[in-house]
Amino acid sequence: MSVRYVSLDRVRGLKALRRSSTSDVRGWQASLLNESGDESHPRTKPIQDDPDRLSQVLGATPKTNQYGDYLSVRCLCAQPPRYSPDLRALRLLTPEAADEIADPDQWLFLDTETTGLAGGSGTYAFLVGVAWWESGGLEIEQFFMREYSEERSLLFALRERIAEHPVLVTFNGKSFDWPLLETRYRMSRKISVPTPRAHLDFLHPARNLWRLRLGSVRLSELERHVLGWDRGADVLSGQIPQVYFDYLRGGPPERLVPVLNHNQMDLRGLAALSSRILSLLSDAESIGENGLELFGVSRICEKRGEHSRARELYQKSIATFLPAETDRAARRSLARLAKREGDFDLACELWRDAAGNSRHGYEAYEQLAIYYEHKARNPEQARQIVLRAIDELRRANQVGDIAPGAYREIKARFDRRMERLGRRNRRPLLDALAMQDEA
Amino acid sequence: MCAFHSLAPRPPASLETVHNLLGSLVSRYRQEEVLTAVRQIPAREAKFRPLPAWVTSSLAEAYRAKGIRDLYLHQAATADLVRDGKNVVIVTPTASGKTLCYNMPVLNAVLENPDTRALYLFPTKALAQDQLAELHDLAKRLDDGFGAFTYDGDTPSDARKAIRERGHIVLTNPDMLHTGILPHHTKWMRLFENLRYIVLDELHTYRGVFGSHLANVLRRLKRVARFYGSDPQFICCSATIANPGELASRLIEKDVEVVEENGAPAGEKLFVFYNPPMVNRNLGIRRSYINEATRVAKEILARKLQTIVFANSRLHTEVLLTYLQQANPPKPGQPEPIRGYRGGYLPGERREIERGLRDGRILGVVATNALELGIDVGSLDACVMAGYPGSIASTWQRAGRAGRRSGSSCAVFVASSAPLDQFIVQHPDYFFDNSPEHAHIQPDNLEILVNHLKCAAFELPVSPDEKFGNVDLPDLCEQLGEAGFLHQSGGDWHWIDEAYPADTISLRSVTSDNFVIIDTTGEDNGKPEVIGEVDFSSALTTVHPKAIYIHQGQQYHVEHLDFDKRKAYVKPVNVDYFTDAIRYTQVRVLEVAEEEGIAGPAARAHGDVLVRSQVVGFKKIKFFTNENVGSGKLELPENEMHTTSFWLTLGHSLFAELPFSLSERQSGIFGLLYALGSMATLLMMCDRRDLGTAVGERPPSAASEINWEDFATASSNGSEAKEFFEPNLYIYDAYPGGIGFSEPLYRICGTLLNRTLDLVSACPCQNGCPSCVGPIADRSERTKEVALEVLGRLSRDAQFMATRTAEIA
Repeated sequence: MSVRYVSLDRVRGLKALRRSSTSDVRGWQASLLNESGDESHPRTKPIQDDPDRLSQVLGATPKTNQYGDYLSVRCLCAQPPRYSPDLRALRLLTPEAADEIADPDQWLFLDTETTGLAGGSGTYAFLVGVAWWESGGLEIEQFFMREYSEERSLLFALRERIAEHPVLVTFNGKSFDWPLLETRYRMSRKISVPTPRAHLDFLHPARNLWRLRLGSVRLSELERHVLGWDRGADVLSGQIPQVYFDYLRGGPPERLVPVLNHNQMDLRGLAALSSRILSLLSDAESIGENGLELFGVSRICEKRGEHSRARELYQKSIATFLPAETDRAARRSLARLAKREGDFDLACELWRDAAGNSRHGYEAYEQLAIYYEHKARNPEQARQIVLRAIDELRRANQVGDIAPGAYREIKARFDRRMERLGRRNRRPLLDALAMQDEA
Repeated sequence: MCAFHSLAPRPPASLETVHNLLGSLVSRYRQEEVLTAVRQIPAREAKFRPLPAWVTSSLAEAYRAKGIRDLYLHQAATADLVRDGKNVVIVTPTASGKTLCYNMPVLNAVLENPDTRALYLFPTKALAQDQLAELHDLAKRLDDGFGAFTYDGDTPSDARKAIRERGHIVLTNPDMLHTGILPHHTKWMRLFENLRYIVLDELHTYRGVFGSHLANVLRRLKRVARFYGSDPQFICCSATIANPGELASRLIEKDVEVVEENGAPAGEKLFVFYNPPMVNRNLGIRRSYINEATRVAKEILARKLQTIVFANSRLHTEVLLTYLQQANPPKPGQPEPIRGYRGGYLPGERREIERGLRDGRILGVVATNALELGIDVGSLDACVMAGYPGSIASTWQRAGRAGRRSGSSCAVFVASSAPLDQFIVQHPDYFFDNSPEHAHIQPDNLEILVNHLKCAAFELPVSPDEKFGNVDLPDLCEQLGEAGFLHQSGGDWHWIDEAYPADTISLRSVTSDNFVIIDTTGEDNGKPEVIGEVDFSSALTTVHPKAIYIHQGQQYHVEHLDFDKRKAYVKPVNVDYFTDAIRYTQVRVLEVAEEEGIAGPAARAHGDVLVRSQVVGFKKIKFFTNENVGSGKLELPENEMHTTSFWLTLGHSLFAELPFSLSERQSGIFGLLYALGSMATLLMMCDRRDLGTAVGERPPSAASEINWEDFATASSNGSEAKEFFEPNLYIYDAYPGGIGFSEPLYRICGTLLNRTLDLVSACPCQNGCPSCVGPIADRSERTKEVALEVLGRLSRDAQFMATRTAEIA
């Protein structure tokens, strides 16, 4: 079969057709020139023949290394001030690497601006901002590639900075910035991937501390509500790739300035936020501003196995009048810790308060029943509790306060327990075994 | 008797049993008319070769432990060629041990050097799962000396990292390679740096659009491998087609050695052609082939022979399933003995059916081509094909599902009244004596190539001196740059868009959009259930509002189609009809590539066209009688596609001089196109859905802009057409950008006309029937006469052209 080579003019033809068609057209046009094709891109040729102007606008210095050129923008900021974390706080973040990362002079704050969020080998980091503590303040350096061809020199320069400050500090860098940079290094085929000594990602602790209060834990939100900063006008993250594309296609360099500022603000916010998080982890007891923060720290402590500190902080946070839902969660965790430490008086008190028509409420009933059956050795009391739970369930079901699926599932659990409690006297040996299992 | 049978173990099929049951089935008719062919295909002896000396002892031991001491001839030949570094394609029927052909050399290499990596591609996830089981069995025998994993949409994300690092053999599918692996190649560095083998199983499925896409995905794969310094070898397996070597070398764009001699044994098989008896000779109406296939299957099932029934569409699968389930109700407390199997069933359901077939719990299965491929369902006794599968290759493939290495089996082809079926059933020699089809692909289809070029640029910047198919790459990159996708920097073209291009490109259909089908019965208690899905192209014809959608034998009424959200809401119903959508198509010529006058006077041409189609209504068709019991109008969005087409233009003098009334002439044109379209499918050896047909008026000039309403009142139904001046008969590629049928059709125009003349004139009906010019109900009574008259004039010098075609070929 011979092949007819279709003329390239058809691509142009297709475009023209697409503009003229108004119906809901799916198929070749949509896939060939996807949705963004509607926006007319500036077609002028790049103006990068005046490199000085770009440097001037950005306040940048052209730099050169063995792989070529790139732009570097540096500044020293007095705010936020340098902060020295203590080991107790760091251990809550990464228990295994605490010693290595204790020296804040080894830290390198890092944030990238990229050509997309989808990831994959076609997404570039066109601007990489790094920062480190210097003279009591924060020294910021931003590497910018004026063209894709400057990527290697940028990556090489970044590699040198990482060698100088080998502990990476990021916000969501573990799942976004760093894998993307690893991809870029691999794509370069020349520069090996730098190996930071440790990587502290503050997204997860921030989530634990503030998501309940703020809903969103975007860096700019945290800045505003936790640090009390005001960024003023800021470019929207979603628009950043387009700003860079427009610049590449010859757009005015001035539009890049807000992107560089945005990146700078992110780095300063990250540095300040990391200080705030570490000081909270170190001494939430005295500086915690509200119950939710205390609750957050106790969650982190519990996860890291520092149970007595966690318990203490849960108790403190409950004393500050938490919002109902958080209060319930705090009491539940507290009961769990109390049970673990054998403090059944406290645990039972918390469970009794919590028992009721909700998933957690039924869990509390169940915990109580387990306690009376196995620990207090009072099967009759356990039966009473289970009977109460079943009554509660029935009532809720009659008035429609519980979903049918949940009702069936929970009901079956209590029925099984009831059945076993009923047999208890008759089959002591078997039940003793079952009891061991459950405890 | 029945009770006894149900207790006894399943008796093996014997040719005698099959002869008997066929005899009883057709005793009412004159046998020679109904059974047009009864061929006995003898058993084949195995040809063995010893295990090659280079196979490491541990691997040889593992195979020996599985009971494999010697290799079949083709296995040994393949293993040696692979060992010599050749790219190979093995052509073997079902169940001839082709898996060993690639597993053995690959595993041997892995055991010799544990850094070695291999990528296996299967057209479906199910096949990959199937092969994984075999590899795991070998791994166990080799003290887990290698890691084999499937990597597809179902792979949990926490397992993916380990697979990338530790998988010696990664089993995946082209779609996953396209969207999940290549765009993230840096994460697969270990694999790509050490990639030595790529296995393409079921190669014959990679034809047409899918194959053209895959060829481009492989271009990208080779590019990425090159980037990491590897140059993998290809091992391909194909069912029997005419041009396995050509297909493989066009797909991988390398030289390929072909291994064709099959050394595996096979049991004897009876192959029967069954033409449903005529009920009305004048109208050319035969008994419904679906009903006849049901009867045949029922008879076989009654003898407790495990049977697979193939239908050509989802609809017919469900109809057959309904009939057969009614005839074979489950015994109390036992599972349903007859099950359905097709795309659109959820994966868990499919696995369960496959298991049921292997362990004999399921007696019969009604399937679409989803079961044509090498999914392991064990050896079945009989295969019934309701309707011609569309190609010789695929017919043998389906027949191969019954009967494996020993014991006899039978395959029955029940012909529908479609022209292709009638041609085959009445000319059994054409089937039994001809080689199977050629598989065509068109990797340089601009539409497809451009899309993959975008993905390629996303994966690695494109250098201007690179090759990517036979196109002018710098010029194309320039165009993509202007469209805002690429940006040139330092000589290379880089991806410059936020989007992830692979996500918007589907390898299998025009768009990757699927419609999900939601049963709203449970809505009141908050649990609407997703019961299946249909792809975009078939959604408008199967789940349009008021359609009856059938799933596992249950009918559902489509209450609402949410086109934007791609959802169809259905409720189960119990009605005695199904629905058939009516499509309306218009074609506009954009650019004529070649045009030439032929006898008639008429002209043949091919070129670029714009096809607009719309589902405008539907018919309700009663079960069993196929009566039309109602219809409805629909307002659905229009579909538009730029593609290539072959067409015939009938000169005004020819058309006007025909000694028939206007409506007879109009009707005749539609009848002629119906027959031409069928014959083109046969000659192009493609799926009937790959070619679309339409009649339109020849525009005064192809270049000038014409109002759509002014011409091309084409429709599938001739009665609406207005008078033509110079009608154009289009046979177009039903894929955006064209898939390479138009030009070959233009070249073999003479053969096409001659064969069509043969088909129509040899048809025993009087005034036209579904087997030649289409069902008489829709046409004037003289349709066949008109079509023959036109064909006679057109093919006056077709003989000359046919010889010329032969010379060119």
